Amino acid sequence: MQNTDTNRQDQEILELLKDYPMPAADTAFYDQALVRATHEGSRRQRNKWMLTGFGAAVAGTIAAWMIGGMLLNDPQLPDAGLTIPGVTMALAEPRTINLVFASATALDSATLTVSLPDGIELDGFPGQREISWKTSLNEGKNLLPLTLVALTPVGGELLAHLEHEDRNRTFRLLVDVT
Amino acid sequence: MSSAEQSLAFERLVRPHFDRLYRLAWRLTGAKAEAEDLFQELLVKAYGKLDDLVEIDEPGSWLCRVMYNLFIDERRRFARRRLHTVDEGQLAGDGLEGLPGIENPVLDNERLERIHELDKALAQLSNEHRIVVLLHDTEGYKLTEIEELTGIPVGTVKSRLHRARARLREILIANGTIS
Repeated sequence: MQNTDTNRQDQEILELLKDYPMPAADTAFYDQALVRATHEGSRRQRNKWMLTGFGAAVAGTIAAWMIGGMLLNDPQLPDAGLTIPGVTMALAEPRTINLVFASATALDSATLTVSLPDGIELDGFPGQREISWKTSLNEGKNLLPLTLVALTPVGGELLAHLEHEDRNRTFRLLVDVT
Repeated sequence: MSSAEQSLAFERLVRPHFDRLYRLAWRLTGAKAEAEDLFQELLVKAYGKLDDLVEIDEPGSWLCRVMYNLFIDERRRFARRRLHTVDEGQLAGDGLEGLPGIENPVLDNERLERIHELDKALAQLSNEHRIVVLLHDTEGYKLTEIEELTGIPVGTVKSRLHRARARLREILIANGTIS
């Protein structure tokens, strides 16, 4: 009976996986990629992103921390530290949170640094407290999914630091471990 | 060969494999920007090896292997955790609306929900398990083709596939996607 159930479940998973979508490449992408490859050893196309704000979301739901369309160091910006969103996670159970950056303008070559509190690790980066990416943001919402694992029941504050040219901003997310 | 001739020769060799390579890049990285990055990186590297490339019998397989090795060598750079746009359709619920669907909106919505849950479940797998299950069960690679691509023995590939499916089953039962 149990084998029958398992087989049926496996079949269902297989069907789901076969249906797992993948968007096609943009029409012009192949041509552009060829041109870039043949010109140089080449200017990479990695920075196609932009920036302006930050939010936090849990399990795919965008939380209330969106700041859009402003300069990173704009004094008019609400202080991210005043409204710190939070996430609760269980000990030793991976949980994916989505950081959302909304932007009105293109920002190329921004640096994003995620600093983790003690006892929280980013899945795939064991033992690392700070991870940096060179990136840039697209206009509109940009999502960064992070799978966190709590190794101790302490929790703390996760910092996401964005830097673009001489501007920078730090955003906070409280991580509570139960 | 002039520079224009070189470019033409390169294009003739690689263009027939673009769709296959793009699919592989997407499955390895899990997000559009990283897939495009990896694809671009591969072309840049391959162009630098044009002299070798013209001598290769199966450039498609060679290019796939080079892409896989690039991904493994620089996996942090191409990790799917990097930023990607919400409208890429990479995360269900925030971009899957544009996917080709079926006529019945209720069923279509159910499909999106299930894909969303699958997406979340896959995100909980290790890279090794996620890649094997996507290549085999989604892309239809044979075990021997995965061995050839990754250099991982068939026995290990099989065991990773088994574990990946078991973990997916566990997650998808727990969240009610399958019963």
